[in-house]
Amino acid sequence: MVPTKAVLTAANPAEQHLPLQTITDANGETKTALQIILEDLFAAGLESVAIVIAPGSEEAYLRAAGPHADKLVFIEQATPKGYGHAVWLARDYVGSNPFVLLVGDHLYLSHSGISCVSQLVEMAKQHDTCVSAVQPTHESQLHLYGTVGVTRIPGDKTASEINTIIEKPTPTRAEQDLIVPGLRHGNYLCFFGIHVLHGKVMELLDQQLSSLADNETLGLTPTLAELANSERYLAIELDGTRFNLGERYGLLRAQIALGLAGPHRDEILTSLIELLAAKK
Amino acid sequence: MDSKLIAIIQAEDPARRDTALKLACQELSLDDLLSECALLDEFRRKEDNLYPRVRALFFLYAIHRYHLPPKLSDSQIGRIPFAGYELLLKRRFQEAIDTFLGAMADEGPGDALSSALASAYHQLAFQTLADQVRKSVRTVRGNQWMFRMGHPDDQPLRIRKELLATSTDGAHPILRERTPVRMDLSHSGWSDIFFLGMDFPEGAKVLNVSVDLGVHGRDDNTRPPVEAYLRIIDEPVIRLTSVDLKATATIDSLGEVFDFAKDYLGLLKAAVIAAGVVPPGIEGSGKDLSTLLNRLVGEGKGIELVSSVNDIPKGSRLAVSTNLLAALIGALMRATGQTESLTGPLLENERRIVLARAILGEWIGGSGGGWQDSGGVWPGIKLITGQPATETDPEHGISRGRLMPSHHVFDESEIPASARQALQDSLVLVHGGMAQNVGPILEMVTEKYLLRSASEWTGRQEALALLDDLITALKQGDIKALGDATTRNFYGPIQTIIPWATNLFTETLIAQAREHFGEDFWGFWMLGGMSGGGMGFIFAPHRKAEAQEKMQEIMTAAKARFNHALPFAMEPVVYDFSINPHGTSADLPGPESLPASYHQIHGETNPPDSTDDTQSKDDGSSLKDLLRDNGFDELLHEEVRRDLLSGRIGLAQNRLPVSAVIEDVHPEDIVDLSQLHPADEDPAWIDVTKRGVAALVGGEIAVVSLAAGAGSRWTGGAGTCKALNPFAPLDGSYRTFIETHLAKSRKTGHAAGTPIPHLFTTSYLTHEPTAAFLDAADNYNYPGPLLLSRGQSVGLRMVPTERDLRFAWEETAQQQLDEQQQKVKESLHTALIGWSKSTGEASDYTNNLPLQCLHPVGHFFEIPNLLLNGTLRGLLTERPQLKTLLLHNIDTLGANVDPTLLGLHLDSGKALTFEVITRRLEDRGGGLARVDGHPRLVEGLAMPREDAEFKLSYYNSMTTWIDIDQLLSIFSLTREDILAHDLEKISTGIHAIAARLPTYLTLKEVKKRWGHGQEDVFPVTQFEKLWGDMTIFPDVDCGFVVVPRLRGQQLKDPAQLDAWLRDGSADYIRSLCSWS
Repeated sequence: MVPTKAVLTAANPAEQHLPLQTITDANGETKTALQIILEDLFAAGLESVAIVIAPGSEEAYLRAAGPHADKLVFIEQATPKGYGHAVWLARDYVGSNPFVLLVGDHLYLSHSGISCVSQLVEMAKQHDTCVSAVQPTHESQLHLYGTVGVTRIPGDKTASEINTIIEKPTPTRAEQDLIVPGLRHGNYLCFFGIHVLHGKVMELLDQQLSSLADNETLGLTPTLAELANSERYLAIELDGTRFNLGERYGLLRAQIALGLAGPHRDEILTSLIELLAAKK
Repeated sequence: MDSKLIAIIQAEDPARRDTALKLACQELSLDDLLSECALLDEFRRKEDNLYPRVRALFFLYAIHRYHLPPKLSDSQIGRIPFAGYELLLKRRFQEAIDTFLGAMADEGPGDALSSALASAYHQLAFQTLADQVRKSVRTVRGNQWMFRMGHPDDQPLRIRKELLATSTDGAHPILRERTPVRMDLSHSGWSDIFFLGMDFPEGAKVLNVSVDLGVHGRDDNTRPPVEAYLRIIDEPVIRLTSVDLKATATIDSLGEVFDFAKDYLGLLKAAVIAAGVVPPGIEGSGKDLSTLLNRLVGEGKGIELVSSVNDIPKGSRLAVSTNLLAALIGALMRATGQTESLTGPLLENERRIVLARAILGEWIGGSGGGWQDSGGVWPGIKLITGQPATETDPEHGISRGRLMPSHHVFDESEIPASARQALQDSLVLVHGGMAQNVGPILEMVTEKYLLRSASEWTGRQEALALLDDLITALKQGDIKALGDATTRNFYGPIQTIIPWATNLFTETLIAQAREHFGEDFWGFWMLGGMSGGGMGFIFAPHRKAEAQEKMQEIMTAAKARFNHALPFAMEPVVYDFSINPHGTSADLPGPESLPASYHQIHGETNPPDSTDDTQSKDDGSSLKDLLRDNGFDELLHEEVRRDLLSGRIGLAQNRLPVSAVIEDVHPEDIVDLSQLHPADEDPAWIDVTKRGVAALVGGEIAVVSLAAGAGSRWTGGAGTCKALNPFAPLDGSYRTFIETHLAKSRKTGHAAGTPIPHLFTTSYLTHEPTAAFLDAADNYNYPGPLLLSRGQSVGLRMVPTERDLRFAWEETAQQQLDEQQQKVKESLHTALIGWSKSTGEASDYTNNLPLQCLHPVGHFFEIPNLLLNGTLRGLLTERPQLKTLLLHNIDTLGANVDPTLLGLHLDSGKALTFEVITRRLEDRGGGLARVDGHPRLVEGLAMPREDAEFKLSYYNSMTTWIDIDQLLSIFSLTREDILAHDLEKISTGIHAIAARLPTYLTLKEVKKRWGHGQEDVFPVTQFEKLWGDMTIFPDVDCGFVVVPRLRGQQLKDPAQLDAWLRDGSADYIRSLCSWS
């Protein structure tokens, strides 16, 4: 499974400004968050990216995309009907092809020199199946993420077969259904925000949408859970960290992490120490 | 050496593994037993697996309790090291055992040491079991995270957004959880006790039915009796309200959530904790509740939780409180997204988590039942069974079964609707009103299971077979066969395993139901742990309506008859019931759904002791009248109060000076008759016995049984007459203490050919009931004079001082409880100290039934009362030859007019001869000592140091042989003064002696009943003068005789009964009695 397309969702009205934030990357160059995400995607071999946006924000995104603007397709989500619905809007763009799916309000920092997107795309190729990046997450954060129950693949340190997916479970439920051998007590595998999926997901979303009431929104997790029930679907523990730009000090944390990951590490550390040493 | 007993424990072959310990020990000599004990002790220390370890502990307990003592010689007593006793109190059982074993290695085996070892092994066994249950509860998946969460910022739960919505008036919606209660058609010999289920999962089976209830004649319809309401409030607090207990509290600190006994809301607090809202892991973190609520509910918001059980009385044996806990946990779990849906029934895995959380909540709250108690969470009729522990269970490798059972809910293809209807059409469900403590029964069941006592083990197998009969009958809708099976269960396995599951009240109800309804009475059915409270009577359907009315009448009459003899918590009630097909279920009913009394409660304040409204004026006599009629001395009372407040008297002041030298008595201070043989077998005592027989034949002796008290320990301060309690079946009938004492005098008198006069001393509390009871029983046809001697004085109880409460709880050695129970106890102590201060230290205790406010002034006065009230004059007039009185406590069942002891007393020429017995661990409260060189009895209250008592070899049984003339001379009186009934002279003589006796201040527990079967226990202060202190006078010639333990031991607590029946005590008493 070799994806050539990606879908980036950025239509949530509360979070649509996040990819447009300016940030200094690991090399000290100032870019938008969107630019950093797109660089990772194209470096991973993808050819084009569809961004699902709120109506009227295309121009801002085009500006923020910088040199990558010509490889972008914009799809507007007229009414916010959930993450699943936003993905479904890209069905015509995706067709029956495999695609990378990620959210626009997160940045991903690899610890291995290979970007998180590249790591995941490589895994999809290697296993020839849908894959989702996951990360061990403390139970106090479960209310924020889709969480998976898996079976470890013997001999494979990063890939596991997904059995169960529950959106934002309580630890009560997680302890019963989502315990993963090898993780520390109270930690579970939660979605990292990057997936490599194929066109069947769009079919499943289509079915889900047909039974959706007017006032309901569609998440992606039920569809992924169905996918896990119907075919081999892997969770991949990536060597990287995700940063949610939308949470309090999320952008700051991402910025510090990026700064420490590059050649200007000493400069950032010195600044941090000075800040820490300064009197209140 | 190979151990025969370890081989039994480890046997693969079930037949060998199930060998009864008694059988295995039969052939073993003292040395064999001691070797077995050493090997067993070594074995249990090394063994990791729970079952062999615990079984070895129970073997050790039983050997030291039952099998070693009869094989020890008279001289093998062994003194209990105080250090070991202190370790026992602190629950450091292992170290206590090591200390006792060390003493045994030094001094050799002994009866006293064995009693201490038995107690230590017994407690360690139960502690081991409790620890395992606790560990299992914590490791149930779904519960574990709550013990890891220690900081508010880690709270992973969030309130469901539906509950945060507001209506136009700003109010949030109300979530209501409605839960039926459960009744068990069979528990297969208490097989749902956690440990039984975890060790013998194949035998753990319960047929359990969820029912809606109404009180017959009060409620129009049946409904799920248990309700929990939850809503979000705009204040960062947790507000708890119990509608039935009329209590509410607004909690704004984490510490208060864990303070269970502060108010009546402990169950609601346990639910808040067990549901993960305030997880147990956060206790003691020092964090703010508001921070936690901020994360859970939102800024400035909190939770309100309301409970209601529709006034269903406590103690119904329908697991109302466990199902209420489950309902509260269910509502809280739904509200915090721990269930799939906010409303409707629960999914199976959610029910299981509610069950696990209810078990956890009960442990947190310091209580505990069996695993079937949350049965109301499931729908309809179900079979709950124990499950073997598999590799995925935390119990795997530790116990054979796992903590959590499985539930099979019968569908209509298995038990058709017609059969369910037939059950409803025939069963009359009642609450008999008795207050019952099931705790000791559950311990006895566990112990007997582990010892595989032969008949009980067979009973257990029969109970399992009977369960199949019950299920078959139910499936066929054959309720007559069902009634037959439940009755066979009650009279067969249940009573084989625990004879104390029944009582005279229950037997009376069954007999009268049978008498009235004949063939149409199809059977009796015991609910829960024991009978007397919740029970079922099964009738032919065409007579059910009539039976509901009649059973009410029968129960009310029987309660009136036994009201003073048995502890009742409430008036009996009959229920209406229907099978609930849904189990627990929730809805969002709207603001008007809260119970009406919720609003009343929130218009009032609720101090902890606010239950006056439920206290009627009792039997018509006011406290004032009672005081006046019973010789209350107001001047003395005020003097005691002044002394109490000024600190001149108090618990600490009861003690002898620290400088007093307390030593064990010397051999010359006692006569040892601890192995009393019939005179014809022991020539040394032939002459003495002859002298006693002659006195008996000559009518020179009368018996005085002290029956003025309530026996606080016997009924937990319930205020019944202990003497009238039908405590045990002996030779086919339930016998009261009074009847048993009379039966002994009857037999002795008959043998002598001269009936013995028998006196019972009574008090304000016991006189009328005793007189009425004896009248109704036609004096048990006692052939001799039977007299009651009414008490002549009474005291008024006082609210204790903080100083005395602290002395009792903090400065004297106290039995520490299991971790969680200890927390609850300490919380209760704080609340009670607060009660004492707010009510007024040393103020009169009047906030209870008048009779519960009075107290007897000590058994010293019982003999003087005979002089004052003319009883002795009557006796001396009737038989001038009377020379001796035998005085004994109501609970010293072995005391009788033994001719050898009588002869010995007469020969000695002593004024008073006191009987003492060798001491065991449980014999606390003083003993025979040399105090500054003078042999005398010392009360436990007077011991200057707690360890002093442990140096004493002998315990005071209180049984006293009294030479009447010498006694009168102590009071400066003569027979002539008594016969002339010179009251002034008699009073003066008595007062002169009483003034020289110490006055002890004591704390007693008194029950206060309120609401629907609710009971609170309060410590109250009273004072007393004690008979044993007659030995302090140098001019009173006292003798001390060591008698066999079976003669001198006292039956103070119903929990002793089972051992009493098994260790030969009951047989010994039987041998002394003639019932007709």
